[in-house]
Amino acid sequence: MTTMIRCKLGFPSLNAPGLRSRGGALTRNIPRDRSRGALKSLLSVFVAFSLLTAPSVASDDVESQLQTALRAAVERVAPAVVQIETLGGLEHVDGKLFGTGPTTGLVVGPKGYIISSAFNFAAQPASILVRLPDGTRKPAKLVATDHARMLVLLKIDVDKPLPVGEIAPRGEMRVGQWAIAVGRTFQLDRPNMAVGILSALDRVWGKAIQTDAAVSPNNYGGPLIDIHGRVLGVLVPLSPKATGRMAGMEWYDSGIGFAIPAEDVRRALPRLINGEDLYRGLAGISLKGPNLYTGRPIIAACLPKCPATEAGLQAGDEIVEIDGRPITRAAEVNTEIGRRYAGDKVSITVLRGDQRLQREMQLAAKLEPFRHGFLGVLPMRSDARDGVAVRYVYPKSPATAAGIEAGDVLVSLDEEPIVDRIGLIEKIGSLEPGTEVRLEIRRNGALRQVKMVLAQLPIDLPSEELPVAQPPSAGLNTRSQPEAAGLQLKIPEYSNEAWAYVPEGYRPEAPCGVVVWLHAPGGFEWKDLLARWKPLCDRYNLILLAPKSADPARWTPGETEFVDRLLDQIGSTYQVDTTRIVAHGYEGGGTMAFLTAFRNRDSIRAVAAVEAVMRGRPPHNEPLHRLAVYIARAEKSRFAKPIKRSAAALKKLKFPVTLKSLGETPRYLNDQELSQLARWIDMLDRI
Amino acid sequence: MNIEHWTLDIGHSLVPTRSVGTRKVYLLILLLFSAPAAAAIVDTIDRVHPKIVKIYGAGGFSGMESYQSGILISPEGHVLTAFSYVLDTDYISVMLSDGRELDAKLLGADPRLDVAVLKIEAEGLPYFDLSKAVKLEAGARVLAFSNVFGVALGGEPVSVQKGTVAVVTQLDARRGVFETPYRGSVYALDMTTNNPGAAGGALVAFGGELAGMLGKELRNSLNNTWLNYALPIDKIRQSVEDIRSGKFVARRDPEEVKKPLRSLDPAALGIVLVPDVLERTPPYVDRVLPGSPAARAGMKPDDLIILSGDRLVQSCKALAKEMEFVDYEDPIRLTVIRGQELLEFTLRSAGESKPSKRTYP
Repeated sequence: MTTMIRCKLGFPSLNAPGLRSRGGALTRNIPRDRSRGALKSLLSVFVAFSLLTAPSVASDDVESQLQTALRAAVERVAPAVVQIETLGGLEHVDGKLFGTGPTTGLVVGPKGYIISSAFNFAAQPASILVRLPDGTRKPAKLVATDHARMLVLLKIDVDKPLPVGEIAPRGEMRVGQWAIAVGRTFQLDRPNMAVGILSALDRVWGKAIQTDAAVSPNNYGGPLIDIHGRVLGVLVPLSPKATGRMAGMEWYDSGIGFAIPAEDVRRALPRLINGEDLYRGLAGISLKGPNLYTGRPIIAACLPKCPATEAGLQAGDEIVEIDGRPITRAAEVNTEIGRRYAGDKVSITVLRGDQRLQREMQLAAKLEPFRHGFLGVLPMRSDARDGVAVRYVYPKSPATAAGIEAGDVLVSLDEEPIVDRIGLIEKIGSLEPGTEVRLEIRRNGALRQVKMVLAQLPIDLPSEELPVAQPPSAGLNTRSQPEAAGLQLKIPEYSNEAWAYVPEGYRPEAPCGVVVWLHAPGGFEWKDLLARWKPLCDRYNLILLAPKSADPARWTPGETEFVDRLLDQIGSTYQVDTTRIVAHGYEGGGTMAFLTAFRNRDSIRAVAAVEAVMRGRPPHNEPLHRLAVYIARAEKSRFAKPIKRSAAALKKLKFPVTLKSLGETPRYLNDQELSQLARWIDMLDRI
Repeated sequence: MNIEHWTLDIGHSLVPTRSVGTRKVYLLILLLFSAPAAAAIVDTIDRVHPKIVKIYGAGGFSGMESYQSGILISPEGHVLTAFSYVLDTDYISVMLSDGRELDAKLLGADPRLDVAVLKIEAEGLPYFDLSKAVKLEAGARVLAFSNVFGVALGGEPVSVQKGTVAVVTQLDARRGVFETPYRGSVYALDMTTNNPGAAGGALVAFGGELAGMLGKELRNSLNNTWLNYALPIDKIRQSVEDIRSGKFVARRDPEEVKKPLRSLDPAALGIVLVPDVLERTPPYVDRVLPGSPAARAGMKPDDLIILSGDRLVQSCKALAKEMEFVDYEDPIRLTVIRGQELLEFTLRSAGESKPSKRTYP
């Protein structure tokens, strides 16, 4: 029988004196005697139990055996667990005070390669030192970063090979088995340990394993080991919902801790050792449907320049297999793609009609930001299904150049019939500026072909009053306005109040746009708000929706869900024009408007923020989900700089950003500016 | 059996691997005994619970809870607890595990250790004999008893948590890291024990032996996390015995390391650091004045100072702070990174500085 606990030190072929060399690898067992003793007593416990000795005595022995086993496991990996110190660097990261304390790393290569958590370097230190368990300090170089799994690889110069932790094979991992989180932050001479179990496998889009052991900055970068001292994974903070080096830190010591499986780390090592930074692999696909977990994985759109398009995938394809794994739900696509790196090749099988196609694609680190194409017309909002009538032609647009006039009807695009306004917006929207299209138009009964090259969506504010978008009503269906003073809305689970105003003369066949007003700190008086908006709502066929934050002084990010629910309620009661749903806010309400729009990309088509800073990372611009941005700011605003940065960031992502100056002093919009904003909203269904 | 390696440069291993059979036996044993182990903990808890008390005193406003926990340490009603604002009142009461609530007197406290001893009038109480307390090491499986968050009302027994000693560590590792006068070793724990109301609670081994007293809430400023810890009984026993026997003489607050009248500064050594423009500007040497102690010792521009003595200096500010504690006349040992090398210099402003003595590989 061999020893229970052993420590393997793997070395490259070096003829170090005093060590046995066999076939290029040197190995040595460390705590042999101790472990033998442990095994012997374990067996004696077993005997004691079978003789039915008093359970408390027997179990005390088992507890002390367990204690011995846990300690031996830690001792076994300890030589490979190092302390990391940093010098210089930022004091705050993502608005949080960042500690200067020592952190942990795990030796993964005897020549001085050490893996650690990217969190430990979030402050971007000027210099990194590694302290080996014997107290030696070594300057370390940061070789590469794995941005997908939030790991970094360090390298130190060594004069003798370092001991390396042994890997626990993925196939042997079982939820419920012992898991010990090991760090070296409190003491240099002793690792700190936290005991728990393996809580889950395949977490955070297939990237992590989970433990209930206490995981925190005290052990981020250290190993999660099994009862034999083998490395299950490398401890990192992670969040299924957010990315970034600090994401997941809020769960420290909570019983939800993550580690990157050791096998995955090993697979990434050769690339990291070569100095290659690794990124999450992106395909550039949008999937259909609002629900990832129930929806079938049908491609709704592919970006014009992306791995999926280059591989020949197209909208309508249903994904059935990725690298030989069958796929049935949209979420599985995210997991399968999410665990791969940029540069990885993926074999993807799709159904197109009754064809089964297999394609290879190479995932990308970055996708070219998408910009929506533009014909230069405003459509009439009729429910005709035989084309789209032109309400207005933008001056200096491709449509003007092609001779299109108000009143023309657009009948077909690239030989395909145009059914309605929303269909045409989607089709033109998934083409980029510069694309040539062929349009067929009908004027006074005569058909005509024109060619044009798409432009970019306009960012100017409309100076003139535009022709009315709705054909005049027959007058029969007009419902008198029963709630001229507005309605009060309530969502059962929320304490928030909300008000709404539905325009006079509302009729279901003329869907309304929706303006969600997100108030500044201090709330609002509904009467005053309604007085300003009522004429605009009536004129431009807009529903005004005004929720109140639960705490009048501030919005909390979670309240975007309340807004979402309100929109659902409005949408189920009234016919809503999905091309004109706007989140509008002032100061903190404007910040909330950005957040609401970013979290409800499916429904909200524009943000109008006055004197407000954008928070968080804006999403990608997507073909199917247009988002227009209106930013009003004063020159002498306290927030002038961050507002400028917000606008620049959105422009970089190729969102159409309209800027409005309020003069010097910060304030809300005056009547004239508010009318102009309403006209801007009225033009959101531009094509 | 196939051994898994991190990198190819490890080569193939020739370690004799344990047989699968052994592992199976081992797992079998653990499984067989998991239930009786729980039974043992149940016995331990039954024995410990009567020795833990709830303490009520001052507080009860703006997030300051008016309760904490305590440990009976004599049959005649001596209670060991944490020295805190809760005891800052003439009306302290102690509730025993049987629900009796008794007035308590503060016998004394040692502010150096943050411990206090209370006395209630009672007899024949179950108690922990401090002389029989045990010392623990990292990996010890432990139970924590306390009225954390005050969830145990009236005569209800206090809450029990199970965990492991993460490591035995020193609180005095660096200046200003922990806001507590205590500077000795503590048991860092891997469970969330140190929340409001827990201070004064007991840390016991699975066999029921007392090992430590849960401390007050403490934040680790090195990484902005809350520390979960207990004070080892062997570190506080002498003070507690002295308070009990009336021999305790309040020692002075922990002696602050005194700053010298005239401190050393980089300029006195001929070192000009890069402009300190950031919160944590790394202490790079910008210039070395010709003929200065630093120049004679061989220090060069772009050297990054990392250690003053044995203390890590992570910024220009930290270096300045460290040097405040060095007398102008005394030598100072500075370690720098130059390229990939660590070099150590012993510098003296008044006398002759020594050139680099020891170099790290």
